Formats: sequence, C-alpha cells, structure tokens
Amino acid sequence: MAKVRDGLKYTESHEWLKLKDNIAIVGITDHAQEELTDVVFVELPEIGKEVKKGDELCVVESVKSVSEIYAPVSGKIVKVNKKLDDSPEIINESPYDDGWLVELEIKDKSEINKLLDAESYKKL
Amino acid sequence: MYNYHNHIHLARMVLKSPLYKIHEKLGAKFTEFAGFEMPIQFTSIKDEHLTVRKSVGLFDVSHMSNVWITGKDAGKLVSLTTVEDASKIGDKLSQYTALLKENGTVIDDTIFMHLGKKFMMIPNAGMSSIVTTWLNDKANEYKLNAQAEDVSNDFVILAIQGPKSRDTLQKLTKTDLQTVKFFGCRYIDIGGVRCIISHTGYTGELGFELQVTPPKDAEDLFLKILDAGKKFGIKPIGLGARDTLRLEKGFILAGNEFEGGRTPLESGLSWTINWDHDFIGKKELLKQKKQGGYERLTCLKCIDKGVPRHGCEVQKEGERAGIVTSGTLSPCLNTGIAMGYVRADYREVDNELDIIVRDKSVKTKVVKPPFVPKDWAK
Repeated sequence: MAKVRDGLKYTESHEWLKLKDNIAIVGITDHAQEELTDVVFVELPEIGKEVKKGDELCVVESVKSVSEIYAPVSGKIVKVNKKLDDSPEIINESPYDDGWLVELEIKDKSEINKLLDAESYKKL
Repeated sequence: MYNYHNHIHLARMVLKSPLYKIHEKLGAKFTEFAGFEMPIQFTSIKDEHLTVRKSVGLFDVSHMSNVWITGKDAGKLVSLTTVEDASKIGDKLSQYTALLKENGTVIDDTIFMHLGKKFMMIPNAGMSSIVTTWLNDKANEYKLNAQAEDVSNDFVILAIQGPKSRDTLQKLTKTDLQTVKFFGCRYIDIGGVRCIISHTGYTGELGFELQVTPPKDAEDLFLKILDAGKKFGIKPIGLGARDTLRLEKGFILAGNEFEGGRTPLESGLSWTINWDHDFIGKKELLKQKKQGGYERLTCLKCIDKGVPRHGCEVQKEGERAGIVTSGTLSPCLNTGIAMGYVRADYREVDNELDIIVRDKSVKTKVVKPPFVPKDWAK
C-alpha cells in the first residue's frame, strides 16, 4: 500500500505540498512514484520562474515513460532540489523527504483551500 | 502528474495472452502493445533488465505471430518474399530476414525456421494477417504451390534469455542443449511439453525461444521454467525491459524503426540481404544503393544528461540532421541512448549531434552498435 503522510496537502494528480508560511515544498506522492517506478531523469525548472496553478512544473521520467508534474498552486520558484540531477532515484526512495522537487513562493493563498488533506487523498 | 505512457485507452478489441492470469498472479502491470494487453513490468524495468543481463529472465512473447508456410514451393515462396535465399538455410536452422514491398520498403522483419518440409515464420505483433495475406497473394501471383496459414492463436511463445538460460532449460529436458547451436531450431520435449526450440532472442544474451502449442500446455511450462531457474534468481520479464534490452544492442523494433516506410538499406539491415537471388523489392534496393546518400539508422549515445524519445529531432548546429525512432535511458550504462535516421554525411563514429528533447538540446555522439558489449555482466 502506498503511504500517505498526514499533515501534507495533496492534489488529485498525485502531487504533495508541505506548507510553511508563504512557501510550499512540492513533491510527488508515494503512489505516484510507485506508478512510475525507477525515476531516471528529472527536468527541473529555473529558479525565479513564475508558474500558474496547473502549469507544467517539472518533468519526471522513468525508463519507459515521461510524466509532467503540475504546479499545485500559483507562485514563483525559489528553490529546486539539485540532488535530483545526479540521483533521481531518491524520488523512489524518499518521495516525501529527500525526493522533494521544488519550493514555491505562494502567490494566492486562497488556492490552498482547494487542495486535499491526507484523509481526502487517501480516499481517491 | 500526467503520464504519457498510460493515457491511451482505445475503444477496440484488445487481445490477451493465454498466460494473462499467471501474469496477473505474478503481479504484472499491463500495457497495450500492437493490439495485445501484455505485461510491461513485474518488479521494475531496471531490475528486470539487469536480471536478464546478469542471470536469466522468462518472457511471454505470445503477441508475436506464427505463420506456417507449406507446400512443394514453400522455400521458393520464402525466397521470393524475403531478402534471404531460403535454399541456403538448411533444415533445423532459422534465419532473421525482412519482407519487402515492390518499392523496397520493409513490410516486417521476421525470423523463419526451416523445419523439415515446412517453414514457420514469426512476424511481429499485429502483423499476422498482413503477412499471411501477402504471402498467399504472392504465391498466387507467381504461381507457386505454397500456402501460408496464420496459426498465431494456436501458439504461445516463450523466450528464456540471459547467461543462465541454458542451465535453466537443461534441467527440464534430456536433449543436450549444447547441440542446439546459435540460430538452430528443432522439436524438443521440455518440461513434458513437445515444442519447437530455437537458439534465438532479442536481448543480445545467450537465449532460447519456445513455440508451444496448444497454448494450454504453456501455463504449466511457464511455471516449470520459473521453478527450474529459481537457483539463478530467474524472474518473469515484461515488455518494458524487452525494449531496453534490445535497444542497448541496437536491435530494430519494427513499429518504431520502419515507421513511414524504410528500406533495409536505410534501416541497417544490409547484412541480411542475399543479393544472389531474386526477391520482391530487389530492383528498388539496387537503385537506392547506386544512388546513395540516403538517411541511415544510426546509434547515438548521450554525452549530456537527458533521455531521448521516439520522434525527437536530431540536429547538427541547429539544422535538422535526422529523427529519433527509439530512445531510452540505458539501465546498464545509465546514460541516454537512441537510434534514429541520420543524414548520410553525419554518420561517422564520434560525430557529435544534438537531440532536441522538449526544446532542450542534448549533446550526443555517433557510436557503433551495440551500445552495451557482449557479456557486459562478466
């Protein structure tokens, strides 16, 4: 069974967010990494790039497949997980911790209300 | 997350392998390929890939086709419709070849086995009726006493591949498998089942393929092979690893590399052509050979990070130089690798070319196949 971590926010498209003031750390869920298996390449966005909710945030590739990861909220990219350049497999090993993707500076806090909590995500 | 690989759900009949239920029990994830719902992976592509390179894996490749060619002129029909002269392929031998249209482009690449007075051809998945119809039409047109019969539904095809494949199968048969030479084929009793064995494969490793009929017999045999290979860590292998294994060796996948119509000269199959006999498409090939200058299938190894994919453009200094037909991350090399059609003047080994992956340029260089050498795991 894929793990869902309490205290995080989720999207129906299997991204998670960890909120800290106006910053959101974004990654993909355990279920998503299980579906992908063997992440071999991550294309990260440039720092400073502004994204709207639903825009392509980054691309995660497994051996056979290419998956777009969407911005769960609008905002500016302030940090990216550089470790993924050399060790993309940490997304599989630690999807909720070391395998985070980007940090976003949230533009519109009201968008957070539309995200799922752990309980609702589990029910998907 | 939007996954490009799994988004196609076509509203038409999808065929299942007779071993579908066994795959399900073994934890397979499935994909649709050429009209068949087949396992794409059981554990993970990387894990399965390395299992085959280092030890042994078992594939169900029942999506491939089986066509019997019989009649007095069976051999003549094979010679006419493929680039091989079948009279040069003795009894109990198999041959990799290609069927061409009159215009020289490939209909399908295939292996045929010479079994006594009959030939069994193994066209690709989804090609059985096209190839069978073609063969019968040509037999009529050229007044040959030969018939082709599509028996794909009567056969399960198993592939046992990897350095421990022979040791695994030897446990299930009294026949000394050392006597089945590379590209040899024959009838054999294996695990109590009568089937056709050939020393062939699509992984570049030591390997065998079994044609099993009726399909019911294959269920038991599949499990027996898994049991026989337990000591070596045998695993069932899905189509995902089958694709990465073949690509590391520079082997062609028909649906990718012949897309849009390609001749064997373009697709790197010149070595399969026996020019000393007449075959459909020969005239056009001779013309193309004389003219020269055509794009040819080329192997490109990434220098930069990135994973080239089917359809990516190949460039030289910003100008189009070709197109990628197959690309992946090589599980053995941990770098991106690709095959594609590249302009004749850009094909020399070590020439640097760019592959455009999602608007970004990934630097590559031309290499000679295979990407991964023989006995890589040793």
